[in-house]
Amino acid sequence: MHSRNKIRTQTSLRVIQVCIIVLGLIILGRLFQLQILNYDTYNPLSRENSLRQEVVNPARGLIYDRNGNLIVDNQPIYTITVTPASYDPKNTPILAELMDVPVEEVKKRVQEARDYSYYRSSRIFTEVDFETFSIIQESIWQLPGVGHQIESKRDYPVDSLKASHILGYLREVSKEEYLRTQSYHLGDRTGKSGLEMAYEEHLRGTIGTNYIKVNAMGQNMGSYQDGAIDESPKKGSDLYTTIDTELQLLAEDLMQGKEGAVVAINPDNGAVLSMVSAPEYNIRKLSGRLDRTYWDSINADTTNPLYNRAISGKQPPGSTFKPLMALMGLELGIITPQTEIDNPGYYSRGRRYNDLADPGKYDVGKALQESSNTFFFWLMDKIATQQGLDKWHELATSFGLGQLNNIDIPNEVTGTIPDSTFFNRVLGEGKWGIGDQLSLGVGQGFVAVSPLQMALVAAQIGNSGYKVQPHFVSTIRQNDGTTMLTNPEKEKIDWVDPQDIAVVKDGMRRVVTDGSGRYYANLDSVKVAGKTGTAQNPHGQDHGWFISFAPVDDPKIALAVLVENGGYGSISAAPIASLLIEQYLTGEIDRSYVYNYVKTFEPRKQITDEDEEENLDDQSQGT
Amino acid sequence: MINLKELSWSLVTIWASLIAVGLVAIYSATQGPVAEFLPSYIQFNFYKQLISFGIAILLLIGLQFINPRTFQEGSYIFYGLGILLMILTLLIGKEVNGARSWLVLGPFNLQVSELMKIATILAVANYLTSGRNISAENLKSAIIAVSLIVLPAVLIILQNDMGTAIIFFALIPVVLFWSGLPYGISLFIISPAIIGYLTIISWYWGLIAAIIITLAIFMLQRRTWLTFTSFVTGVLLVIGIQVALNQVLQPHQRARIEAFTNPSFDPQGAGWNVIQAKTAIGSGGIYGKGFLEGTQTQLRFLPEQWTDFIFCVIGEEFGFVGAGFTVLLLLALTLRLLRMAAVHKHPFARLVIVGVLTVFFTHFFINVGSATGLLPVIGIPLPFISYGGSALITNTLMLGICLNLDFYKRQFSIYR
Repeated sequence: MHSRNKIRTQTSLRVIQVCIIVLGLIILGRLFQLQILNYDTYNPLSRENSLRQEVVNPARGLIYDRNGNLIVDNQPIYTITVTPASYDPKNTPILAELMDVPVEEVKKRVQEARDYSYYRSSRIFTEVDFETFSIIQESIWQLPGVGHQIESKRDYPVDSLKASHILGYLREVSKEEYLRTQSYHLGDRTGKSGLEMAYEEHLRGTIGTNYIKVNAMGQNMGSYQDGAIDESPKKGSDLYTTIDTELQLLAEDLMQGKEGAVVAINPDNGAVLSMVSAPEYNIRKLSGRLDRTYWDSINADTTNPLYNRAISGKQPPGSTFKPLMALMGLELGIITPQTEIDNPGYYSRGRRYNDLADPGKYDVGKALQESSNTFFFWLMDKIATQQGLDKWHELATSFGLGQLNNIDIPNEVTGTIPDSTFFNRVLGEGKWGIGDQLSLGVGQGFVAVSPLQMALVAAQIGNSGYKVQPHFVSTIRQNDGTTMLTNPEKEKIDWVDPQDIAVVKDGMRRVVTDGSGRYYANLDSVKVAGKTGTAQNPHGQDHGWFISFAPVDDPKIALAVLVENGGYGSISAAPIASLLIEQYLTGEIDRSYVYNYVKTFEPRKQITDEDEEENLDDQSQGT
Repeated sequence: MINLKELSWSLVTIWASLIAVGLVAIYSATQGPVAEFLPSYIQFNFYKQLISFGIAILLLIGLQFINPRTFQEGSYIFYGLGILLMILTLLIGKEVNGARSWLVLGPFNLQVSELMKIATILAVANYLTSGRNISAENLKSAIIAVSLIVLPAVLIILQNDMGTAIIFFALIPVVLFWSGLPYGISLFIISPAIIGYLTIISWYWGLIAAIIITLAIFMLQRRTWLTFTSFVTGVLLVIGIQVALNQVLQPHQRARIEAFTNPSFDPQGAGWNVIQAKTAIGSGGIYGKGFLEGTQTQLRFLPEQWTDFIFCVIGEEFGFVGAGFTVLLLLALTLRLLRMAAVHKHPFARLVIVGVLTVFFTHFFINVGSATGLLPVIGIPLPFISYGGSALITNTLMLGICLNLDFYKRQFSIYR
């Protein structure tokens, strides 16, 4: 009995010993698994737990005018962020109350942030006023996962400067955009038009990252490793533009209340001095948190203020096309400066094409001065029959018409300079003839150009046949101080003969001294050359054009002005152009009566019966 | 007459080492950079533990001057007194963390359930060794012995302290087994725990375990009825737990039970503690992040890091080396006690020592198992390491009694 007990005790002892050792080994094995085998899983987990990446936004690059004056600046705005990983949805009502927005709104925004990233912080409220921002800051301890950022919005120091179509606006990146490019975060802004869009990569800079330690409640515990692995943001590059603020302000003032466009460039290098598309929109209202009402209103506006007429508009150039026609005629040897034709008051080819210019003998100079349609119908007839439409297309295109000129803001259009392929496509092969081509000679019919393109034509005639690259930005100054020059070289247009262009320039000078431009475009102080034009508008009153350059011998400025529904270019567009030239070249405006005339000029949008009749009468008229 | 060489100095060393490890971990958990987020009464825990350590030293020394017969002779009195105090606690006790287990005695807060552990061990040991006819093989004695353990356990459940009750239930199979309960039946008694645990992880593992255990019982004890009962119990258990998990329990209750196998099921809720605990231990690596350098600890990602999750602090700041050392110390404690029981000649002393080591080991296994995600989170402290004056003093009391019984083992027989 006793020995049986002893054996049993020994066995029990053994069993318990084995149990303890086995269970102990299980625990040790588990520790080995967690701490050694799975170390690479848990170590990053603990770091993610206690580390938060904080995005530090770089200051966006500034924009200066041609005199080095700041025209686009930055201003601080306060933003509330959320890191979904540490955010407690139970706090949504508190956050909604502090922010003074509906609970649903907060829920929706947090969900969006969650969809974007569980661990990265996303902006949920931007442009919070300083007071609300301070209240949130005081309550941040009870709102784990909620943080803040101080960002900046665009500010425009020149109060009255609009320049909306040049500068453009910023918008938050869309979901598609941040999913496509890894470099954007939810809530980041990106340029959506104008220079802001074209130079996004330069202006934006490089995002910095701060690593901060946080505890389980999401409280900031200071920087990780004293900021050793932080990356500081790199400020965006500054843009030095060619914009002349004085000129731009005047152009905006003169175009106020009208629809149309002004493009002024330096004929020497293509630098855009001023560009206005009227009506403008208010970039100040689009600079911060999106003003929904305003955004909807400009989108619904029938005058379409977001549309950049200066580079996206497509209108027939009317008679402003005639100088280029004259140049082509001279170059192709169809006419000489002395070639005279007899103008009976109309041109007859299958039908009669009326001419507003008086009957008589016309050489090219007089034809330009008086804007004789007969002369240019005749000339177009000759070009089309002797050289073919495609030759005409080639020469017109080399001046920048019917093609993109790669100006450094988006949404430029090509316009239309028809060639035989175009007519075959649009009218059908064999279904078009000389009748369709004649109107091209006076800038009507299928020809469509933008104000920018016409400004280039003016500049390139003014500079005696040098192709220039239109541009806004002359210099990009990077964060580290290095600069990048963007000044493109001007290039001789090979077919242009200086002797011939002198004839054309003289003709354009005569337009201002003795022709349709003499009322409003002739200045005592500066020798202006130009050409008026009227674009037929089947929907209302005709659009007025004026292209111009000055001084005629060594032009410093070339312009195209388009006033929609302005009627004759000589009374609508020419005065605006001449005022801009006067301001730019003399620094002041002497002719206050012209200024007052422009300010009170009212384009007639709705067509009246009288206009209708007139329109029917002069189907192919140019002025 | 007292020969100090007779004292088990190795156990005293292990005891002191464990408390030292605990003090280091408690210091880190309450006095490190984390202190910023802790209320001052918790920061004060380190100093309270130091004071408790002082009391424990005096207690350990004092206990060695007590006549070992006292423990046997007084066992029923201690037990009866303990039960009375437990009932009193239920009536007028103070509630802490949802458990009404504290009795306020003037300036002291006493957790009677802690003292009840040793009282129960002494009483059961006394009962099972009190007569020739009393043995676990005898059904009546076995039931009485089990009742002696279940009574305080039920009172503790009524106090809403599930963790401590589990310790009492763990005593039942060990004490009965040690007292001669047949191997097959012993295995049968612990089989629900094994099958239940595996079923929560996955039902077919539970089923496989039920089959293997049935086979083992059949091998150990060729009794048809026992084998049959074992199999039926096992299968019913697997089905019962499955039904409970899928049909009876609310999803959030199920999530809490299953959190240890699948914490990512509810990472912000029930799984949070498990994820943070495993992350703390796992990120410690081999050598740890260093004293006061643990991000999980110092940035307050761990719940109850000075008591139930203190092992995570050790694992994170001292790595596999530190955590492994702590585990080895605790294993050494239990194995050394087992050795002590083996060489003792007196059955009462042997059973007391086995009971005490069972309590220590169960605490250790459940605490570390919870922290490493092996077991569901059951809030019980790590012996000698976790903060807690009552626990430290009663654990020292239990160890001190074992040391006393060992110290006087040569003279013991004459007291019989």
